[in-house]
Amino acid sequence: MITRFWAEIGTAILTLVFGLVIVKGSLEFGIGWDSSGPQPGAFPFYVGALVAAASLGTLALTLGKQLAGSPVLAESFIDAERGRRVLAFLLPLAAFVVLSVTLGMYVATILYLVFAMRFQGGYGWLASLATAFLTVAFLYLSLEKFFQIGLLKGPLEPLLGL
Amino acid sequence: MDNIANLMHGFEVALTAHHIMLMIAGVLLGVLVGVLPGLGAPNGVSLLLPLTFSMDPVSAIILLASLYWGALFGGSTTSILFNIPGEPSSVATTFDGHPMAKQGRATEALSFAFLSAGFGALCGVILITLLSGWVASFALRFSSPEYFAVYFMTFASFIGLGGASPLKTIVSMGIGFALATVGMDSVSGNVRLTFEFDVLLAGVSFLIAVIGLFGIGELLLTMEEGLKFEGVAAKVRIGDVLRTAAKMPRYWLALLRSSLIGIWMGITPGGPTAASFMSYAMAKRSSRNPAKFGKGEPEGVIAPETADHAAGSSAMLPMLALGIPGSATAAVMMGGLMIWGLNPGPTLFTDRPDFVWGLIASMYLGNIVAVVIVLATVPLFASILRIPFSIIGPLIVVICFIGAFTAANREFDIWLALIFGLVGYVFKKLDYPIAPLVLAMVIGDKAEDAFRQSMIFSQGSLSIFWSNALVGTLMAIGLVLLFMPVIGAGIRRLRGLGQARTV
Repeated sequence: MITRFWAEIGTAILTLVFGLVIVKGSLEFGIGWDSSGPQPGAFPFYVGALVAAASLGTLALTLGKQLAGSPVLAESFIDAERGRRVLAFLLPLAAFVVLSVTLGMYVATILYLVFAMRFQGGYGWLASLATAFLTVAFLYLSLEKFFQIGLLKGPLEPLLGL
Repeated sequence: MDNIANLMHGFEVALTAHHIMLMIAGVLLGVLVGVLPGLGAPNGVSLLLPLTFSMDPVSAIILLASLYWGALFGGSTTSILFNIPGEPSSVATTFDGHPMAKQGRATEALSFAFLSAGFGALCGVILITLLSGWVASFALRFSSPEYFAVYFMTFASFIGLGGASPLKTIVSMGIGFALATVGMDSVSGNVRLTFEFDVLLAGVSFLIAVIGLFGIGELLLTMEEGLKFEGVAAKVRIGDVLRTAAKMPRYWLALLRSSLIGIWMGITPGGPTAASFMSYAMAKRSSRNPAKFGKGEPEGVIAPETADHAAGSSAMLPMLALGIPGSATAAVMMGGLMIWGLNPGPTLFTDRPDFVWGLIASMYLGNIVAVVIVLATVPLFASILRIPFSIIGPLIVVICFIGAFTAANREFDIWLALIFGLVGYVFKKLDYPIAPLVLAMVIGDKAEDAFRQSMIFSQGSLSIFWSNALVGTLMAIGLVLLFMPVIGAGIRRLRGLGQARTV
């Protein structure tokens, strides 16, 4: 189980790093003044610094509350049961993204929907395959044919002549 | 009276068969995204936006605005029937709406919700009709320092009035501004903050952020809760609707008060969610029998619904007149306006009166269309929620990622949407407000330009923000809003209801 305390601290550190990265990136472009006004880096520099400072503030506040024994921070951010449910959804979702860029979005959609319905939802093969193919057919007709918007395609579509 | 003539012209624009069809389509799609958890108004607009790039801007905005109204209505349906808010702004509707439904008064609750929502929305639109022209002509006097002051006010009110931790609001907002600066700098022509990654050259699109933060993030939260839909069946009969409508005048005070709260929260960027919570709390406190609230009191449905919709529609006023969106959805629409080549702000009223007044007229029509459609389709959309989430969830995922890709036809955006999804999930769990991030991404460039130009005028002195009465007043209001948490610490403690989260 991860408590809310650690989640708060972890997130604040990540936003702190984000702020510092922006600060560092802006320094390349100059944060001062030149003939045309403020240099390009100035605005992002102050924004980044603000994010970093506010993150530090959150860190300090969270630590302070923890020392004072805040009950909210001791609550669970995520436990094993909830974590399992999130991962069961997140991992196939991430796989869908990977498949989309390798095999194209249509193939990825079919594989993802069939997996989610057959192996996670407990539906039969027929129902799963039918839903997946109908969805893809609908997407293909509405996007490619009606709105003339192409989706990412992989190596399989040319073989089918699409 | 100029406004009335303009409005009549607007009706001419909006009242064509083509536009009425778009309104109906928009409302239906809107109810659908409103009903489905994980898809909300900001998300629905983001997903549909790429499909409107080739449309005429007037038609496109009518479609998107109707989707917005539909989504606001759809969120209430699920709140009442399933005790699951389809939209964050309809959370407060569950408090009394669902108990009413469980007592067998589902039709009454739904009718109260939709009719009062329609009333709230119309109040918002009337306000826009009366004030927008005036605000726009006032804003024509603005130059860069005034604009920066207005942007400052917007974000100050998020920090001061948002209800979330001010530090977290600053972080969220700052991330939005930082992301807006990635890519080409419009003033100097430099390519900034890409860290040698070519994919960042074109910048980070706010559409991807919305799809990830609101869509994927919300879905992850829904899955974590292990949601099950156990709804109350409802059939809407016209007789029951009329009988409920006849009871409406009894609640005139609640309607008016909630509309005012909603309008205020919509114009200042408090947004519909905060408005509905605040209105519910006010109704409960001023009621003669507050003990009835939470057990199926009609006023507990009317108050949040009216405020929610009044805020939703009046959020369009600052977007149109000043170029500052009053809610996350308005922010996405404003981004759309810029993509269509329009320049939101006071000049829009003189450059494209057909667009502005067509949109305003369509708000009247769209909300009426929405009330009718939503009453007629309650059973249909309620049955959609009976489809198990193991099918709906993955379908929504597919739609979100396809939407992310079609926004700019970039493979990298799919990855970005995934990252934003994770960020959205963590941010929501830890009460980081997300709306300021989206708003900052949309108006980031404009805010930066306004700041830089002001600095050029003043040769780098911040005193330009106090150089005349107008900008000084705006900055002063901004500062007051910013330090609201400090000023209002005592008042805040008195509030009965927990702090509303802005979205």
